[in-house]
Order: sequence, then C-alpha cells, then structure tokens
Amino acid sequence: MKLGRVALLLAAATALQFFIGGSRHRAAWPVDCFLIATAVVARGGNPSRAVLVGGALGFLEDAFAHELLGMNAFAKAALGYVLAILSVRVVFGGAWAVGGALALASLVNDGIVSLLALLILRAPLVLFSRDAFWRAVATGVTAGLLEAARKFPWREWWKRRVLRRLR
Amino acid sequence: MSTVSTEAGGRSRRGSLLLAFVLVFCVLLLSAQAPGAGRHTSLLQSWILSAAAPIASVISSVSRAVSGAADSVADTFSARQENGRLKKDLARQEQELFRLRAEVSQAARERLLLASGAALPSVLTAAPVLLMESRAGVQSALIGAGFSSGIVPGSPIAVSEGLVGRVISVGATVSRAQLLLDASAAVGARIVRTQELGVVRGDGRGGLRLNNIATTSRAGVGDVIESAGIDGIYPRGVVIGRVAGVARGSDLFLEIRVTPAARFSQLTDVLVLAPSPAIGAAAQGAGSAGP
Repeated sequence: MKLGRVALLLAAATALQFFIGGSRHRAAWPVDCFLIATAVVARGGNPSRAVLVGGALGFLEDAFAHELLGMNAFAKAALGYVLAILSVRVVFGGAWAVGGALALASLVNDGIVSLLALLILRAPLVLFSRDAFWRAVATGVTAGLLEAARKFPWREWWKRRVLRRLR
Repeated sequence: MSTVSTEAGGRSRRGSLLLAFVLVFCVLLLSAQAPGAGRHTSLLQSWILSAAAPIASVISSVSRAVSGAADSVADTFSARQENGRLKKDLARQEQELFRLRAEVSQAARERLLLASGAALPSVLTAAPVLLMESRAGVQSALIGAGFSSGIVPGSPIAVSEGLVGRVISVGATVSRAQLLLDASAAVGARIVRTQELGVVRGDGRGGLRLNNIATTSRAGVGDVIESAGIDGIYPRGVVIGRVAGVARGSDLFLEIRVTPAARFSQLTDVLVLAPSPAIGAAAQGAGSAGP
C-alpha cells in the first residue's frame, strides 16, 4: 500500500471514529475504525508498515480516550504485526475469516489494554465485558462486510445488469 | 521464487525489529507516565487535545447534524424549527433545573452547609460530548470545552439527571473526562434516606457499586444515592443513581449495586461544574507558577 493511501486511511479512520463517537447512537454499532484501518494496512503483507500504522493509530486513540499514552499503541502495533504475518503466511480469506479474525483481534486489543492498565495503573482487570463483546461483533461484521464488498465482482455484476435491461 | 521468499523473510525481520522497537518505546513511555498518573495532566496529551480540537469539533458537528437529520427525517420544516427552539429552551431549563435541584438539596441540609461553608455546585459551562470510549474498564469522554472556558483538571461534570464524572486532561478547547463508570473512578456518596456514607465505584462494565455500607444498614432497592462532598472533588447533593440490588457480602459490608441516574450511552451534552475549592486553588497555583 502506498504511503499516500496510508495517510488517507489514517485520516479517514480518525474522522470516522469521531463521527461515530460524536453521535448519540454511538453505542448501537461501536466499530473500532482504528483496528480496521490497521488490518487494511496489514493485509498488504508489510509488517513494518502495519506496526507503524497500528502504533500511530493506537497512540491517537490513547491521546483522545486514555489516561496513559501508549497502551493502545502497544496493543495495535502488536496486532498489526500479527495480522501482517498472518496475511503473508496463512492462506485464508473470505468475509467470514476476515470478520472472525478482526473480532478476535478486537477482544485481544481489549485484553492487552486491560492487562497493561492492571500492571501500570493497578486498575481492576476488566476482561470480556458486554461492551467488549459488542465492539468485537460490530468490528468483525463491518470488516467481513468490507471484505465481501471488496471481493464482489462489481464490474461483472454491472455488465449483467445492463445486459438484462437491454433485453 | 527464492528471491520472493528472501524478500519476504527480510520484510518479516525488519518488521520484527520495528515491532520490538515500538513495543519497547511504548513500555518506556508508559513507565515514564505511570508515577504521575491521575495527578498531573501530561503536557503532551494537553498539546494533542488542543491540536485535535478543531477537527474533533467539526467532525462532531457533522456527526450531530447527520444524527439529527436521521432522527427528524419525517418531520416537517416547521416542526424542525420548533424543535430547534425547544431544544435551546430545554438546554436552558436543564441548567436551571440542575441549579434548583442543588438548591433544594442545599436547603434540606442547611445546618451542615453552614458548618462547612458554601459548596453549591455552580455550572461553569455546557459542553458537547465529542467522543466516548469504553475499553477494558476505561470509560472516558472527550468534551468540547477546555481551559479557555475556565475548566481545570478535576472539574466535575454532570447532566440534569445526575453526576457523570470529572475532567482529567485539559486542552485549550477540548478536555478528556473520566466517567463514573470507569473501573478506577470513585466518589464519596450518601444514601439519602438513611444518611449513611459510602464510596460509589465504577465497575468498568457500565454499572456502579456502593461500597463500605455496613451489613446493619437499612438500605433498600430504590433508595437514591447522591454525592456526599467528602472526597474533595465532587460537590455535595448531586444525584448519582438508585439502589438496584442489595446483597450480603462476604465480610462486614453489603454489596450494593447502583443504577446510574445519568444515561451514559446517550450523552450528547454535559454541564461542567466549578471545581472544589481545593482543586481550584491548586490549579490556580499551578497556573501562576508556570512561565
């Protein structure tokens, strides 16, 4: 993925996160746009870029929402690396696989942040809360839909549609 | 083929090195902040909040506009105008209601207040909620008001229904607040009916618990819990929630579940209250000590 596209993706993810977070319906579909953006970069198969983008997005998330800078950066950099390695070495694909992987990644992100908060802030360990599950579902389903949309043969579908109309 | 695999191996090695570097950097950064956590606003965070303020405000405005449009898609033009006017009226009246509730509470405890000086919560400003985050026990909100509106770290935030949390980090026009639901949040509280004092803590999962209430207490389901003003942060007499369940704990205290009065998932605007005198004085001291 080219650097210009990566920058555009970062901006879009940040804008979308604010768009959802500023809405009064934010709890209805709490997608982790930062994680999806990290996964989009990771699917290019370049671990360095995935680590940097994941770290940068996690850093932004920390700056806006967390007491300490670095917790989400840590989690998302690690997840970016793992997702990039997975995309290179493991032959899997399809909307279900991508959705499942992103849902799991969302839960792991929560787990890492919670563990770091326990170790550094001595905050209570909160794992697998209802919010975390719902965010994992929303993130997984959204990622799955995006993957399905990406793989859908739009051109052929449009051609068939035009032909059907002409007949 | 071998060139491709060599290139992939090189990328993976570079990625591993970079990952190690980023993770170590994060750990060092976290360690550097840890001793000051909860006591000081990180300068870096304050800068980031200030820099992000215009973008956050614009996007949030767009988000609100889209939300509003979706909600009122069936309304007529005149109904929308009426709605806008009523919303403004409601916001004004909410502020008034908040003040009046506090005054009623004040009148009921006149003697106590006289003994401890004026502690009525005064509203600094109303601010929109730009972003809310709920992850791994952390429950926070980004609000659209900062030190330019007189907000300092520690300023309590509330809505007309009840207490919401307190400001942690402050930028020029944006601040970050810790919600009461946060797993690390705590507020000195009182059961209104029995006048017993305890500590309300967030459970990080969207609920609250009232601790330190003895098993001999007569607290029951439906009892109103309000802030006690004993923690040096939150003002006295602001509603926190209602008792949802009482169970006998393993030791000398009851396990009391509290349903928050404020609807946290639907917050759109909050009232920022004046900080307690101790926090205000400390903030002023820090401000005058600066360059």
